[in-house]
Amino acid sequence: MKRLPLDGVRIADLTMMWAGPYATRVLAEMGAEVVKIESPKAWDNIRTLIPQPGATDPWNSSYYFNDYNRDKKSLTLDLADPRGKAAFLRLVPHCDVVMENYRAEVLDNLGLGYEVLREAREAIILVSMAGYGKTGTERGHVGFGPIIEQMSGLASMTGYGDDGVPVKTGISYGDPVAGKAAVAAVVLALIHRKKTGQGAFIDLAQREVLSTLIGEAFVAASLRGEAPVQRGNRDSRYFAQGVYRCAGEEQWVSISVRDAGDWERLCNATGIVMHLGAMSNDARHDEIDRRIAGWCAWRGPQEVLEAVARAGVPVGRILDTKTIHEDRHLEERGYWVELPHPRMHAWKQPRSAWQFVEARPSLQRHAPLFGEHNLEILGGLLGMRADEIAELEAAGVIGDAPANPGVG
Amino acid sequence: MDDGVLAGVRVLEIGGGVPAAFATRWMAGFGADVVRTESTPGKLTDDEAVYLLAGKRRIRTNAATVRRLSLAADIVVEDRKPGTMARVGLDPETLRSEKPALTVVSITPYGQTGPYADFEATNLTSFAMGGIMSLTGMHQREPLVTGGSQALYLGGLNAFGAAVAAYLGLLIQGEGDWIDISLQECMAGMLELYGPRGAYEGVASVRSGNHVRATWGLYPCADGFAGVCALERQIPALFSVLGDPDLDDGRFRNPLERPNHDDELQAKLYGWFGERTKAEILELGERHKVPFGAVQAPGDLLANETLRERGFFDEVSTENGAARIPGRPFLGLAWRAGELHEPGADTAAIIGDWLGQVR
Repeated sequence: MKRLPLDGVRIADLTMMWAGPYATRVLAEMGAEVVKIESPKAWDNIRTLIPQPGATDPWNSSYYFNDYNRDKKSLTLDLADPRGKAAFLRLVPHCDVVMENYRAEVLDNLGLGYEVLREAREAIILVSMAGYGKTGTERGHVGFGPIIEQMSGLASMTGYGDDGVPVKTGISYGDPVAGKAAVAAVVLALIHRKKTGQGAFIDLAQREVLSTLIGEAFVAASLRGEAPVQRGNRDSRYFAQGVYRCAGEEQWVSISVRDAGDWERLCNATGIVMHLGAMSNDARHDEIDRRIAGWCAWRGPQEVLEAVARAGVPVGRILDTKTIHEDRHLEERGYWVELPHPRMHAWKQPRSAWQFVEARPSLQRHAPLFGEHNLEILGGLLGMRADEIAELEAAGVIGDAPANPGVG
Repeated sequence: MDDGVLAGVRVLEIGGGVPAAFATRWMAGFGADVVRTESTPGKLTDDEAVYLLAGKRRIRTNAATVRRLSLAADIVVEDRKPGTMARVGLDPETLRSEKPALTVVSITPYGQTGPYADFEATNLTSFAMGGIMSLTGMHQREPLVTGGSQALYLGGLNAFGAAVAAYLGLLIQGEGDWIDISLQECMAGMLELYGPRGAYEGVASVRSGNHVRATWGLYPCADGFAGVCALERQIPALFSVLGDPDLDDGRFRNPLERPNHDDELQAKLYGWFGERTKAEILELGERHKVPFGAVQAPGDLLANETLRERGFFDEVSTENGAARIPGRPFLGLAWRAGELHEPGADTAAIIGDWLGQVR
């Protein structure tokens, strides 16, 4: 059986919310042992972001938290308490990587900056993923995904185009993008350590990572002073392209007519008859949109998808967060996996998008309960005595429930 | 290690649309010897080519030589349609059996298998099939694609991470792997709370335009657009910055009451943002630790002080002048800004270097 590439790597995970935990979920998918560390007093807010009236321990039963924290271990430690900090510094020598996504100054303020970690383990890899990075004028700004999207340039490029209004992406898009880049940073730093024996301090600014996904807009701005153009769903490189309503509630498809050949194939498949004649490009596009919309309006989205795809024309359903879990292609590829969870009924969770055909990454275990692995790590890995652990618990440095649960 | 962490790593790019070209751009930046085989003209726009091809060597050659180069490579990154590689003698499994140390990364809209594997796709249709689009756009209008070519770039981003992970695996275990990246799968697993909500509760979330709620949205301001995204613990600071005495009331202070008065709160925020500039809003955000943002255009960012201090942009000379492009994705490992090469310019040198031949 082939091993996963990060098998044997241990990660101390101080990250919270989405960008960091998304990164460490992917690292766990690739075989790393991820120890998620939270303070009983300052825990990952994602646990209770969605109110769960009536739940006895809502911090353990959130689908949001549990989807992004599976395959990890949970250790509670109050790093602001000297005893918690000392325990953390005993853990660091057993770890290859420390990850954090606090605001820029927080880790240093806790007295756990890179130099301190290096004293605990010379070759430690620290990955920091603050919104704007550890240095620079804007380092003190607070940034979450939607803010990062505005500050990266991406939001300026999204919009219907007829009202001048930039539109936010429907998810906190900066988070998972930064998360995937942070995974790559960890891997590259491990390669660096393998080759040189040295650790690394990775200073990742979430805003910068997102700007790398719109590089061509910087070429246009720097060479020609061009401002971004919001085009709705159209694309100037194609003959026509749009989003069309289908039968059913809020059911839509997208179709790209790349060139005249696609248009001919689409007409043949749909029976649309239209003479292009002497029209301006915009008028022609509007007319094409009307014809396609008319054809789609009476058909279900799956019927449109399969008919247009059979004709060799690019088409995609606007799969929503329900229908995507019913998509027959993802189903057939085994993308959704149900894992048992002690507090929740099973739900379809995504397996790794990094399909190593031979090593085959797979989901292992549900997200840990709060502090579930305190004994295993403090007693087992660090060799603390039972009375030492009891003392930490009595002092509130560790715990199996948040000290101050409320709505995130 | 000033040559970069991937110095000495040979990467062959085949197909060369945005997904493969973006994945290998970062490899080149971190020191790999990236060779781009020429692909169908028009796969990249001129601006995309300036951004994505800097630092790569370019070869124009025949299928037999591409095969030999593949076996001389450490990593092959390709984004052709499923089955195309096999038809030209580059079947990844065969290449892997001939050279177990090789990693092949294949990036396609739907992956190598399954009922949609052969469907044609574009950035738009891929973005739609990944789920994010259903959440994007104004509720009363059609779903909207996010700007640029996000589905394609996400494929490249994922392929890069997976490829270097496989290369790390090679250093440890002596073997590469074949990695099947589907754009749809890259997106379907990053649907924030809405994905798991749909899976757990069986209901679809509806796109909410620029306002998830009043305190999590985008507003017109005096000189453009600015936004706020406040967690519960930041609400007191936000209200204090807004300075409106009406807010000192249970209907706004109580997190369980606030959603019932969201329209009223949104109206107040419209008023507040409308009277202030982006710079004022960002300054208040930093001073009071409130997550404010402002919509910046790429041109604004080229002049941004922080990005200049952090040395974010690379400069690339083109026939139309010097372009400034996003450079290293993070600090901490050596990065090199590359030059643009002409198509086919390095053919003889590459054959010499990789195949030990002089032509």
